[in-house]
Amino acid sequence: MTRRRAALAALAAVVAVLAAYPAFASGYGVRAALQVFMWIVLASSWNLISGLTGYVSFGHVAFFGAGAYAGAILVAKAGWPWLPAALAGGVAAVLLALVIGYPCLRLRGPYFAIAMLGLNEVLRALVSYFEGLTGGGNGLSLPTLDATIPIYYVMGASAAMVTLVTHAIITSRFGLRLMTIREDEVAAEAMGIDTGRHKLYAFLLSAAGPGIAGALTARDQGYIEPISVFPLATTITMIVMVLFGGKGTVWGPVLGAVVLFVAQEVVWTRYPYVHPLLFGAIIVAVVLLMPRGVLGILQIRYRLPRTI
Amino acid sequence: MLGQVVISGILSGALYAMVALGLALIFGVMRIINVAHGPLLMLGAYTTYFLYSALGVNPYLTVPVSMLVLFVVGVLLERTLVFRVVDAPELSSLLLTFGISIALVNLAQLLFTSDLRAVEYLTGSWVVGPFALSKSRLVAFVFAGALTGLAFLFLGWTKLGKAIRATSQSREVAMVCGINVQRIHLITFGLAAALAAAGGALIAVIVAIQPEMGQIWTFKSFLVIVLGGAGNYPGALLGGVLLGLIEQVASLFLTTQLSEVVAYVLLVVILLVRPTGLLGGRQT
Amino acid sequence: MTTPVLEIERLRKRFGGVIAVDDVSLRLEAGRIYGLIGPNGSGKTTLFNCITGVERRDGGRVRVSGERVDGLRPWEIAQKGVGRTFQVIRVFPELSALENLLVVTRGHLGGARTRALELLRFVKLEGLRDEYAGNLSYGQQKLLEFVRVLMRDPTLILLDEPAAGVNRTLLNDLLDAVRQLRDRGKTILLVEHDMKVVMGLCETVFVLDHGEKIAEGAPGIIQTDERVIEAYFGR
Repeated sequence: MTRRRAALAALAAVVAVLAAYPAFASGYGVRAALQVFMWIVLASSWNLISGLTGYVSFGHVAFFGAGAYAGAILVAKAGWPWLPAALAGGVAAVLLALVIGYPCLRLRGPYFAIAMLGLNEVLRALVSYFEGLTGGGNGLSLPTLDATIPIYYVMGASAAMVTLVTHAIITSRFGLRLMTIREDEVAAEAMGIDTGRHKLYAFLLSAAGPGIAGALTARDQGYIEPISVFPLATTITMIVMVLFGGKGTVWGPVLGAVVLFVAQEVVWTRYPYVHPLLFGAIIVAVVLLMPRGVLGILQIRYRLPRTI
Repeated sequence: MLGQVVISGILSGALYAMVALGLALIFGVMRIINVAHGPLLMLGAYTTYFLYSALGVNPYLTVPVSMLVLFVVGVLLERTLVFRVVDAPELSSLLLTFGISIALVNLAQLLFTSDLRAVEYLTGSWVVGPFALSKSRLVAFVFAGALTGLAFLFLGWTKLGKAIRATSQSREVAMVCGINVQRIHLITFGLAAALAAAGGALIAVIVAIQPEMGQIWTFKSFLVIVLGGAGNYPGALLGGVLLGLIEQVASLFLTTQLSEVVAYVLLVVILLVRPTGLLGGRQT
Repeated sequence: MTTPVLEIERLRKRFGGVIAVDDVSLRLEAGRIYGLIGPNGSGKTTLFNCITGVERRDGGRVRVSGERVDGLRPWEIAQKGVGRTFQVIRVFPELSALENLLVVTRGHLGGARTRALELLRFVKLEGLRDEYAGNLSYGQQKLLEFVRVLMRDPTLILLDEPAAGVNRTLLNDLLDAVRQLRDRGKTILLVEHDMKVVMGLCETVFVLDHGEKIAEGAPGIIQTDERVIEAYFGR
């Protein structure tokens, strides 16, 4: 069997196991897996903009929160079923990305990063302000529903989608063009590449996943409040996962999500108070010691194809 | 009414300017966005708080101490971590200072808990004509003005200050002129931390102290720099006052929460229209 | 009279107090090779940057094939048929040599691949097509940057110091390539310090000094022009 066939077979096996998982796993197990899927969506989406184009999105969790609120409001106030509400969450996030991205992506590196940093705070402020709609600081409750298992599947499908999209982009000329933005934006423009438009497309794509994931999470938890869906910790975790696994690769964010989620569960249950400190330390360590991440290093060392 | 707003704006503007000057220095000299700037301010506030509650002294006397403590912290951070990303791509320095900022905030949460603290020293306002001036804000203004003035004198008239400005303009030329650029980076970072700490110390008397208090300051400092122009140090003064004024005016019509939104929209608009800042500066 | 491929009218660019390009005007006709020379700091690369939109000019007009391009973004100008290389090589280091060429094209991938491989063969880089561009030698990167410009089949080609750091054999190949391009009707403007290259290759030479155009003409005439000699060697 060729290497490619073997890889696809392995992938199919993993998918089969994951599909059958809810049948034999405990409630906690399904919830945990659901969270891993969520992190894969978040990390891979962040990778689309920051890993490929090099534009560091520091407030990416804003899209998660926007999707969460959009989805929750539609379910709680407009009686929508949760699946269309989740998709609407994705749409809401993309719209937000359009509004913010269109002006902000024109900014060079650090300016863009800071603009995104502020986005999070602003959304939180807006949510508090429009209390009537969002429940403000008191949060929003959704009608009770035990849909963890279907949500597991939808989240899993989303994770698969984002990974697939990443693969498609990285193997296309569109993806190459995104990378030239990271490599040398001035040269890219001189070669006729409309960097503004490309950045915007990547940015919009990177917002959809988190938006959907946010709405799904809101539905699963049954309750959201500003702090739970706009936490800075989520952005950090996203970033660390991608850095650790390998930014700019296809499977790096997936690897990072799985490894760091497991690590986080272990650490968090034992040392709940130190966990952001630990994560801060991990970011520092990864940035200084292995900025390319595990897969990034392997890729260079063993000349692996970019689709790793 | 308008007069009150203008005065309030100028009072807070000086504080913004002083803290932002620190960020501007780091950006100008080292080309690094110090996302950990806010947490440094926060640590300055806590230093003042603890000195005040332990020794019962006039908190304003602790300003130099806070500045000194954070100068040392800044130098240590630069010496151990930040110096490694000075020549790295922007992503690395952003993430590194981001990581440091998260670690510092969490450290504060662990050591000091998230309980709100306050330094209740100077409350109430002086009434001057038709205006009510918050005492603590007025004193903060005086200190901030003095410290910023001193900072500019330092930059403009001392040998070290000039070396810092030279490095900020061109690192290569500075090196050729015999300036020890590593040392300049060290001192600049420490100085910036000290300025942030001064801001924190002064703010400690005005607002509640908690580990997350610095976050919004990082953002506003950046807004100030954008307003005044990157690498343009006097611009930070103008930017600070401008931000103060705009915030106060906005608060007439909107709640304080929304004034943050105003600041953000302002940032985006300025960056779109004039990315080099109102006074003109360097684009990255 | 045919429309000039490039027409610059009173171009001005300043950086703070320094006037980098001072009221420069020139016309380039199709199918010729032009040179742009001048002492260091005379504004040559800045002029290139203003033409290609990398720098925003402070005054004057730039027209490519009759169309005004001043104020357009660099990629829009590139799409109007202007290609350039850079003084400091700017290949995309983490893309392969082949990808460096493919990434600048749109449209049918198969056709682009064929063309890319052809160009790589032309500069004898075909064997290295899957190598990261960042791993190539200086001379190889230089050639790669050169053919990358050709991928889009531009009408106007701006070369910024193509001879710098290139060995004699490679250089001759490069110069032959430039002549071939000229024979196919392309217009080339090159900035160069190597006088032998300029004199041997260019049909018309412009001379800049302190941002001003101080001379224009055939290489032989420029060589003996007083102002040019003064600019390079002083009085």
